[in-house]
Amino acid sequence: MKKETEARVIVFTSEAEMPMMPASVASTLYNKTGSWRYMRPLYKNQTPPCNAACPAGEDIVMHLQLTAQGRYAEAWETLVRENPFPGVCGRVCPHPCESECNREYLGGAIAIHCQERFLADYAAAHHLSLPTTNVPQREEQIAVIGAGPAGLSCAYHLRRMGYQVTVFEAGEKPGGMMRLIPEYRLPKEVLEREIAAIIALGVEVKTGMRLGVDLALKDLQGYAAVFLAIGQSVSRRLDVPGEDAVGVLHGIDFLARVERGQKVDLGKKVAVIGGGNTAMDAARTARRLGADVTILYRRSRAEMPAIDEEVHETLDEGVKIEFLRAPVAVLTANGRVRGLRLTRIELGAPDASGRRRPVPVAGSEYELEFDTVIPALGQVADLTFLSAEVQTERGRIITDEKTATTRLPIFAGGDAATGFGTVTAAVGSGKRAALAIDSFLRGVERPFPDLAQNVQVAPRPHDPNVVRFEDLNTAYFEEIPRPPQDQRPAAQRVTTFQEVNLGYGEDVALAEARRCFSCGTCNECDNCLIFCPDVAVLRGPSDDEPFVFNYDYCKGCGICVSECPRRAILFAEEIKFNDQ
Amino acid sequence: MIEIRIHGRGGQGAVIASEVLADAVFQEGKYVQSFPAFGVERRGAPVTAFTRINDKPIRIRTQIYTPDHIMVLDPTLLEVVDVTAGLKDGAWILINSAKPPHTFTFPDRYRVATVDANAIAVKYHLGPRNAPIINTAILGAFARLTGIVSLETLCNAVRAAVPINPEGNVAAVKEAYEQVIGDGQ
Amino acid sequence: MRKVVTGNYAVSWGAKLARAQVIAAYPITPQTSIIEKLASFCANGEMDARFIKVESEHSAMAACIGASAVGARAFTATSGQGLLLMHEVVHWAAGARLPIVMGVVNRAIAPGWSIWTEQNDTLSQRDTGWIQFYCETNQEVLDTTIQAFKIAEKVFLPAMIVLDAFVLSHTSEAVDIPEQAEVDAFLPPYRPPLKLDPEDPRAFGALVLPGEYMELRYKMQKAMEQALSVAEEVDREWGERFGRSWGLVEPYRLDDAELALVTSGTVTGTSREVVDALREEGVKIGLLKVRLFRPFPHQIIREMLAGVRKVAVIDRNISFGDSGVFAQEVRAALYHADKRPPVFDFVAGLGGRDIVPETIREIVDYTVTHDAPTEEFTWVGVKI
Repeated sequence: MKKETEARVIVFTSEAEMPMMPASVASTLYNKTGSWRYMRPLYKNQTPPCNAACPAGEDIVMHLQLTAQGRYAEAWETLVRENPFPGVCGRVCPHPCESECNREYLGGAIAIHCQERFLADYAAAHHLSLPTTNVPQREEQIAVIGAGPAGLSCAYHLRRMGYQVTVFEAGEKPGGMMRLIPEYRLPKEVLEREIAAIIALGVEVKTGMRLGVDLALKDLQGYAAVFLAIGQSVSRRLDVPGEDAVGVLHGIDFLARVERGQKVDLGKKVAVIGGGNTAMDAARTARRLGADVTILYRRSRAEMPAIDEEVHETLDEGVKIEFLRAPVAVLTANGRVRGLRLTRIELGAPDASGRRRPVPVAGSEYELEFDTVIPALGQVADLTFLSAEVQTERGRIITDEKTATTRLPIFAGGDAATGFGTVTAAVGSGKRAALAIDSFLRGVERPFPDLAQNVQVAPRPHDPNVVRFEDLNTAYFEEIPRPPQDQRPAAQRVTTFQEVNLGYGEDVALAEARRCFSCGTCNECDNCLIFCPDVAVLRGPSDDEPFVFNYDYCKGCGICVSECPRRAILFAEEIKFNDQ
Repeated sequence: MIEIRIHGRGGQGAVIASEVLADAVFQEGKYVQSFPAFGVERRGAPVTAFTRINDKPIRIRTQIYTPDHIMVLDPTLLEVVDVTAGLKDGAWILINSAKPPHTFTFPDRYRVATVDANAIAVKYHLGPRNAPIINTAILGAFARLTGIVSLETLCNAVRAAVPINPEGNVAAVKEAYEQVIGDGQ
Repeated sequence: MRKVVTGNYAVSWGAKLARAQVIAAYPITPQTSIIEKLASFCANGEMDARFIKVESEHSAMAACIGASAVGARAFTATSGQGLLLMHEVVHWAAGARLPIVMGVVNRAIAPGWSIWTEQNDTLSQRDTGWIQFYCETNQEVLDTTIQAFKIAEKVFLPAMIVLDAFVLSHTSEAVDIPEQAEVDAFLPPYRPPLKLDPEDPRAFGALVLPGEYMELRYKMQKAMEQALSVAEEVDREWGERFGRSWGLVEPYRLDDAELALVTSGTVTGTSREVVDALREEGVKIGLLKVRLFRPFPHQIIREMLAGVRKVAVIDRNISFGDSGVFAQEVRAALYHADKRPPVFDFVAGLGGRDIVPETIREIVDYTVTHDAPTEEFTWVGVKI
């Protein structure tokens, strides 16, 4: 660049000395307009709300950006770097990311779960293997107890870091609670594929090894660290008379028997008690087995913890839901269920969970006939095998934000420690443990956020501030509706266990990814470059740094900041930089 | 100078016909000018297009008021438009119709001819079935009647101008050239 | 290559052969087919230009201004209302001394809505600092489009090529389309002395104080004056290379004429026919076609019309409250002549009304039968 750093004042004495057009004769480079800047723009990505909300710590914005460019394999690699279960999560996650998505206000949240599923299905169709890491192998052996999503996620990440990992699983097959998700929501083939891919990385899985029965904690002393991911396997009881009658079958036990292909005689009329996803799964499974199913839930629709779409699909399939009902007794005849005595409920003041407390309405009891009662009130962990050194509290293993229990080197995660109760949260918990175990073994410090927040293996540099809709420059975005996902018709669904949701094809997935605002994340739209009135925005040296500011000339006008559609430029007081 | 007026309905290709005719005559070394009636056009509405032909440069820049010949692409226009307005004595009136010329009543000073361009266009699959393109066929008939341009040159011009099915159009031109029935012929 | 094309396509071919690098345009009847053709040239790779779709004519010209400022050869086309919407930046292009070339299809101004030819749209841009050519034939349109780039880039002023709506824009006739190599030899790439360049930044279009503004205007006027001789040279060179030239004005059978018609645009062609016919009848009549309207070739016109006894100007335009615009200019040009023939002005053919030989004969009859005009101008063919 030609530099003219001295100011020149030119006094024209004739028209001949003047340029033909109103333009300065000399370069304007001498005039370093950056000298009077009070505010400084900075390229710094901020946190997209989806990323912030993802319990598994996925880099959603980045995989959407890659999908939008048709770079599906790279998008999938970005996804599985954080979560080895995209096929599972794309189907069963309650997608809190979508609840936070800023697109909601202009056509509907991005269908992130469909995108995730699309990428997983794409990878399967193209026989993509999980990317391997080129890291030195480590000698330390790690034991993971439980081959559910938390245990397998932890094993996957530790393996990627070079550790030797053995997973001990009580059941006959790995998968944990994921295995109980009915086929019509999560085909077993998808689950098996993703588990097999983890094992293929060199993770050893030993099944039929129940802690406390087949092995004890002290047997694991040869391992450099132990990760407890034992889940919650004990169903909560109804605590009403008659509960042990024949014909009372707890939700996960029912689902497990169906999963194993065992015959279950439900009779004609089935009551499912509860309002969570297990209740929906049990009800819809019973419906597919030919039963007339009624769900009884003690709160109202608004308080139901089940995923909204699941509730819709359940109703579409002809399952009845009665709200504000609670059982007070299981009615029996000859030791067999014949019905339920129910009470009507009113909602009182909010309880500790923030939901309104159910209060029985006095004198409102009535009876209904049922052949089978399926309580699905959630589960608790079986912690009876733990020694006193690993402390527990209210049915959960106590851990700190590094997933460390009170007895190092034992770590714990998943539902047994967090109680979060979703596959995705368990995946995130397992990843956190892997990172923590690695830090512990290598004696390095790394920051761990609060347990309610997510962690990433490969975080991009970004500001923790979460971008909200009002932060965006919506002049650049049109309202585009979210495309619906194809679904098998309800009448057909109730006769089969074939998958209900059919996912997005490539065209729809591509268009949907392009609908993403890319909140807080530069996607090189060039607006800053185009709008800067001082040509102080220059192309950067690399893909990681697509633009740089020339602060010699940046006047701090903030046009780049306001014209950035996605808040990927920060604006900071210049005075902060004076010492630098 | 020969001045030709083409009457059609919007979408029938009257303007293109005037251009193809001009192009063909130009290929034979003459000076030409072709233009639509200056204005707005609408599918189905009566439209007119013009071609001027001369042995020397054409300088006049007016619309054509006293044509030497006319072509009528849709016989129902006869009820709507005064197609003979300004038409010179001895002019050919070429009508796209399956009927023989004598079924049309015109003053004796005109010569009337007909050609079933619709049937020819359908036969050679010109244009969509619901709207056959008849403008190339009518030119074949016109060339035969007036001798203004040779069949071969006209076929070349049609081939160059038509983006789809050029050989079908050329065949239509030839067939119309053969089939046209002139008054008294 | 000789090809039967419309006047609009002749404009498109001109811009293509001139290797315009940026085309920014907004469609308007009857200009649309100019930019459709250019868009198609760009889309199918026949033309290496950036076609910018814009949301208005104002933006079209603004985009051309930006493109020209960085040194690209910029082209646009418009008509009627579109040109009027563009007006502010039409001035800007000239003041910034950017050699943009624009095809303008003359279209009457609304209301009443009209899509037909009339010169009021372009004549209302008379004082913007644009060079203006009014064309008679499609060949002239094509040749002038290419010439306009050369002239504009020599004097650093933008240029308009004006053609009548429908009468040229939609009329097909044979046009010789020169070979690209020959046009390249005639028209070298545009090399501006000053351009927008982030590597060598300058302030453009900044505030100019009263102490300097007049000098800039002085330079514009000098450039306009220079454009007269440049246009002549460029047309001469064109003639040498391509075997035809058009002149800044063109006299037709004017040598011994007692009565001179002054025409512009397509009326000229029809008038030639009338002149020939009247000559057959013994009328000593000739014609002067004004092709270059800005800069106005006062001197040449003065010389050409000095010998005639009467001048009849046909104006397809009207300056409300005065007369036809060409007549104003011709009268002004003749004012300093030693012998000043009376100038009759006839306003005809507004809103696309056909000017036929009879119309011109009426004009001639009036001029022949009156010693001098009895009014500023005469309406022709108005149903009064």
